[in-house]
Amino acid sequence: MAGLASPVARGVPPLRAGQGHSFFWRRLHSLSGIVPVGVFLLEHFISNAFATNGPHAYADQVKFLTGLPFLIFLEVFGIYLPLLYHSLYGFYIWFRGDSNLSSYPLHGNFMYSAQRWTGGIAFLYMGWHTYTMRFSGIHLITNSQAAFHKVQVELQNPWALAFYVIGIITASWHFAYGLYLFCSKWGITVSDRSRKGMLAFSTLVAIAFIAVGFATVAAFFNPQWRNTPEKLPSSPPAIESGTPGGQR
Amino acid sequence: MARTVILKIKRQDNPAAQPHWEEFELTWKPGMNVISSMMEIAANPVTRERKPTTSIAYDSNCLEEVCGSCAMLINGRARMACSALVDKLEQPITLEPFTKFPVIRDLQVDRSVLFENLKRVKAWVPVDGTYDLGSGPRVSPNEQEHAYPLSRCISCCCCMEACPQFNEKTGFVGAATIAQVRLFNQHPTGKALKHERLQALMGDGGIQECGYAQNCVEVCPKDIPLTTAIADTGREVIKQAFKDFFRS
Repeated sequence: MAGLASPVARGVPPLRAGQGHSFFWRRLHSLSGIVPVGVFLLEHFISNAFATNGPHAYADQVKFLTGLPFLIFLEVFGIYLPLLYHSLYGFYIWFRGDSNLSSYPLHGNFMYSAQRWTGGIAFLYMGWHTYTMRFSGIHLITNSQAAFHKVQVELQNPWALAFYVIGIITASWHFAYGLYLFCSKWGITVSDRSRKGMLAFSTLVAIAFIAVGFATVAAFFNPQWRNTPEKLPSSPPAIESGTPGGQR
Repeated sequence: MARTVILKIKRQDNPAAQPHWEEFELTWKPGMNVISSMMEIAANPVTRERKPTTSIAYDSNCLEEVCGSCAMLINGRARMACSALVDKLEQPITLEPFTKFPVIRDLQVDRSVLFENLKRVKAWVPVDGTYDLGSGPRVSPNEQEHAYPLSRCISCCCCMEACPQFNEKTGFVGAATIAQVRLFNQHPTGKALKHERLQALMGDGGIQECGYAQNCVEVCPKDIPLTTAIADTGREVIKQAFKDFFRS
């Protein structure tokens, strides 16, 4: 029994009460997924859904967003840094967990693994999406009216289209189940009943996000707005020639 | 030929030895469980190939799922050997020691990390026993209803074994300890140490490491509402963290 004299010499170490700052960083990760990252995702889906109202409405929304004061600070502190923190710390969390879905094929355990995979895939998508939309090609901040054209051209590539579809699904899933996890971890939904309700609500959120995302993508394939030019004609009805009253 | 039961047992001679598998075949009897099968094998350690071997080592005591000793992996899943009925298990029945606890010998593991964790969160009611304090405060039936399920914990460590977050990288404290914090923080006298317990759970390896995979509540042989306890305690820990930061 000599080897057992010191209680926990091998294996998982016991709780380090009063040590470290992981509580702060982990809770910050949880919060950052809702505010500002989740809020940005909501804004992004709503803003892009303006595409369903045609190139002019889309351009107006892009113009509104790119015309916001202190844009660079909003971008850096409202989007880039929180998103980067949430993503990188998320990978750190992922690599520290030992997924055991094959031994315990249970719903919560599946969602645990799925939350990691959807987050990882969404991160790759966002890296590519940010590069193509924000940092290459037509500069939309100075040329907002080209927005519809730029997205439409990109979506002509079937691989890009597939990646958009995957990006929409994974980001929606990750955010929606993230709401459920947030409410569980912060003790908002404590009872089994409330957590079941929250799971149903999260499912609806995921479905709504995916539906809006798909409707937005579909708008870029609407024959009404086929081959939208980089420079939009000055009066909105001109682009919709041939479909009188087609819009609104 | 008489009906038989086949068991595959993962053997390990000492903490440093390499594990190996051995197969045993027993004559089927009505009402067999894994413990009774292991008793038979230990009494007559002959493998399926009729080769004499060493007697198998395992922990067990009460044989009625209240002591928590005989937890092991049965067909890959953490559960109690005494309540695992042979007739309800797929054959061959595989028996393995817990994977996240140091093996002592065969199916015996060192689970002292749980005891250490319980000490670190002060999972007790602080009563000075040197003189008669009289009767304690009354506990309402409603509170009893909440406390009793938590008090059923038998320290078997199934919840920790099944948890993807409980490993050497995170050093997560595990569901059982968090549920005991919930239990003793509710106790009218135990409340005295409430803030100390909550602060302990903010340390590295604390409640923040929970990833809400919810395997714990699925494998718990005592049906303890572990996810509810974690959500509830998560709320109290956050409240304590804000209190600590803003008020003292």
